[in-house]
Amino acid sequence: MSYRYLLRQTLIYLAILTLALWVLIPIFLIGISAFTPRQELYMWPKSVIPSHFSLDTMRFFLGAHGVVRSLLNSVQVALLTLAFTLAVGAPAGYAVARFFFRGREAFRLGILITRMFPTALLAVPLAVTFIRWGLYDTLLGVALIHTAMALPFAVIITTGIFMGVPKDLEEAAMTLGCSRFGAFARVALPLALPGLAAAAMFTFVISWNEVFAAAILTVRNRTLPAHIITTIQASPLDFRFAGGFFMILPALLFMFLIRRYLFHMWGGATAER
Amino acid sequence: MNERVRKVLGTDTLLPYWLLLPTLAFIGVFFLMPLFKAISLAFYGEDGFTLAYFQKMVSDVRFFDALKFTFLFAVTIVPLQVVTALAMALLLNSGVRGSRFFLYIFALPLGISDLAAGLIWLSVFTHRGFLNSALYALGVIERPIHYLSYQNINFTFLSVVVAEHWRATAIVMVILVAGLQMISKDYLEVAEVLGARGWKKIWYVVLPLLKPSLQSALIIRTIFALQTFAVVLALAGQITPVLAGEAYFWQFLYRNPNVASAYAVLLMVIAIGMTWIYLRYLKSRVEVIRG
Amino acid sequence: MKRLILLGVLAFGLLASAQDITWMSTQFTPIAEGEFVRNQILAPFAEETGISVELLNVEYAEFAARIEAEYQAGAGEIAVLCGLHGDLAPFAYALADVSGITPGGTIGSALMSKGYMAGKQVYIPLMQATYLMVVNVKAMAYLPVGACPWALTYDDLLAWARNIYEATGEQKLGIPAGPRSLLHRFIHGYLYPSFTGYQVLAFDSAAAVDMWNYMQELWQYVNPAAPTWDAMDTPLLAEEVWIAWDHTARVKEAIVQRPNDFIAIPSPAGPAGRGFISVLAGLAIPETSPDPDAAAQLIQYLTTPEVQVKILEGVGFFPVVAEAAGAVPAGALQVLATGVSAQAASPDAIVCFIPGGISDEYKKIYRDTFHKFVIQGEPVDAAYLREQATRLRELYLEAGVAYPAPDGS
Repeated sequence: MSYRYLLRQTLIYLAILTLALWVLIPIFLIGISAFTPRQELYMWPKSVIPSHFSLDTMRFFLGAHGVVRSLLNSVQVALLTLAFTLAVGAPAGYAVARFFFRGREAFRLGILITRMFPTALLAVPLAVTFIRWGLYDTLLGVALIHTAMALPFAVIITTGIFMGVPKDLEEAAMTLGCSRFGAFARVALPLALPGLAAAAMFTFVISWNEVFAAAILTVRNRTLPAHIITTIQASPLDFRFAGGFFMILPALLFMFLIRRYLFHMWGGATAER
Repeated sequence: MNERVRKVLGTDTLLPYWLLLPTLAFIGVFFLMPLFKAISLAFYGEDGFTLAYFQKMVSDVRFFDALKFTFLFAVTIVPLQVVTALAMALLLNSGVRGSRFFLYIFALPLGISDLAAGLIWLSVFTHRGFLNSALYALGVIERPIHYLSYQNINFTFLSVVVAEHWRATAIVMVILVAGLQMISKDYLEVAEVLGARGWKKIWYVVLPLLKPSLQSALIIRTIFALQTFAVVLALAGQITPVLAGEAYFWQFLYRNPNVASAYAVLLMVIAIGMTWIYLRYLKSRVEVIRG
Repeated sequence: MKRLILLGVLAFGLLASAQDITWMSTQFTPIAEGEFVRNQILAPFAEETGISVELLNVEYAEFAARIEAEYQAGAGEIAVLCGLHGDLAPFAYALADVSGITPGGTIGSALMSKGYMAGKQVYIPLMQATYLMVVNVKAMAYLPVGACPWALTYDDLLAWARNIYEATGEQKLGIPAGPRSLLHRFIHGYLYPSFTGYQVLAFDSAAAVDMWNYMQELWQYVNPAAPTWDAMDTPLLAEEVWIAWDHTARVKEAIVQRPNDFIAIPSPAGPAGRGFISVLAGLAIPETSPDPDAAAQLIQYLTTPEVQVKILEGVGFFPVVAEAAGAVPAGALQVLATGVSAQAASPDAIVCFIPGGISDEYKKIYRDTFHKFVIQGEPVDAAYLREQATRLRELYLEAGVAYPAPDGS
């Protein structure tokens, strides 16, 4: 191993560690604050490690009406959204990537336009429509709206990904006897998995954190953000930290589970190094 | 398929249209009507078509500040994030051990909503927050500094930039990482054989191949950047107003949906403009060839 | 009377099967308050009547959007509403007439008439509150000579804050100026009446110019983080300020956590008197309510004296029924109640009501003026005041609504 190589590796590690610390410290702070006893939150100067950990705030928060139920609702909505978005968005991304048809540019720009308007201002017309269609206060309704919101981004991401999959491979598969769909399913799709995983992560997170539409469209079947945003913002500091931390936990968990698919190709590339 | 159809559609088959139909249906059914109604609010009052709401918007005491800050934030944050995200993605791609683990770490902020991020960074920058506590403990300052105040507007601006950068870089990074994965090893080996190493390889081979992902990432990030105001609100209140925040206040606080809509339409126009620029100037090789 | 109602309710409860209604409210949003209402107030109600009430806490944006949407759609899930006068008044057209409901206690006509508009009784008053000052006992050492905390003037306040600044080097005065704060209430309901005698009529008078000049001076001693604060309980607890002005419910947390460290005192008086606002929250039934009868029962229950006192204990809003006034438990609430009564009983009191029925843009007019002269520190400009005053008057004209007390009757 050359000296130059070692130096390079060390520098890379240093950079990675610095960036990792940068990312982790604030998360650590909110995690700590969620378990800090109430009085200590107001102390000056704030200490990084509290004198003792207190589960009181978290326990009260978790026991508060409807919190756990709304958590489960959010999970359901996010998973439904995920399924719909990928099922509908991946083929669209493929179409834009592979075919040069009339209206291609218009389509790409057009679907983005719906996301350029602040959702909060669409609340009333959306709710009226949903009431009339019997989708009011249903998780399915929220999932459908979230799908509509996530689709433009899912399509952009998958378009970019499929454009990176060499056309030749699919064509080769087709000359060997695959149907178009077969080529897609057996050649393009597996190669595009990292991109699809990115799109999946994205979609889940969009749905999970979305608050405006979820709030106006649900009454009893609230999602987590809709349920707690109003209450924690009006509550004292300790509840805001507890609520904030609680909101980020499940998303962190989901990403932990999905991260494998992002690295689908890496196993082979890094094995030797 | 006959010639005529092919000429009209520009393609040999109806397949792309079938594949797009579900997406269009979803978005059309749920968004088109409300969107249309909301946009028309900006142009139609009780007496019909009018530009009065736009006039009102422009003559508002906070309008030019909001415009200024919206642009300043977008222009400061987005490039910073792209550079950081690119650096992260390239570092991870260099194949050091534990890259998977670090990728997960770098992507963590993705799961954090803008409201939670605002809360976290507020507790850092607030008068009696973590930053001042740390500086005080290290003996650097004697008395807590007011970072988030009107007198210190530059610092307030900076703290919003820092918070937004922290929160949203992961979005860009994840897309770029996925894009990097797609770059075939063959290209990179050929490049090395031809003498391009290190920075040269990155600049002349990797980046151009990364264009489609860069394009996606920039579009997504810019659209989001123009719309989010939760972090700005949490850290700066209305010290540094932004267009999206003003739209929200006009709708819900001052209860004037027409002016709110005017702000929203302005935001849309800006977003469309910037997206068009990205689509035009970041075309991938394939698209350039096709013209 | 109350027994009769209870019997009737019980009978009704026995006859009817278990019901389930949704109660949408802009009040009781802090977690502790919400849980209190659910466990201490709604649970017993469910036991008594078999009606289980789901309390839905929303912020004003969602409240407004939902009422509008359900009204337009002609159907909805919300059975009963709770909101401030200003939350409900704009939606009078979507709310049912509740004059047929007899409250569980005696509510004076002065309050009941606040809920009467657009030719019908739109809401039944539920609870009331006000805004006042809360002071950390540490600040008492710096009180100016001759000033009485129970009857401060604005000049006293300035001297007090200056004393603290000169002694400690810190700006310990706090007024919430964040985007979700109630700053506009301070301006139109406290400053304006105290200096000019009116909320609207004297917006651009010479007295108003004096007032703005005064605020510019006072602002030097206000903690610079004020524009980021929506409520004062956290800054008080963190001791970022020692003297604060805010709504009783937004300072309650500070007093509850450390009742021996704070006292509540009336807002200061200006040259024209001691202006302050009386806030009213009420219960209403939307036209699209799926169960108006159950809603009516809930309203009756919530206005019984026992429940009214419970609300005071758990929420910090004061009762509206005559039978419950004066039944305040000792402790933190006693501290608040003392300040509230002192303010209400001041000889130079100018009672103001929150403007209702007009576009909320009035909030912006007051806040923008504050922003321009006080936060940005520009010289007080009579021409600008005239402009804003004209726009303000236009808002009232457009809505066809009279000026609120003390300007109009």
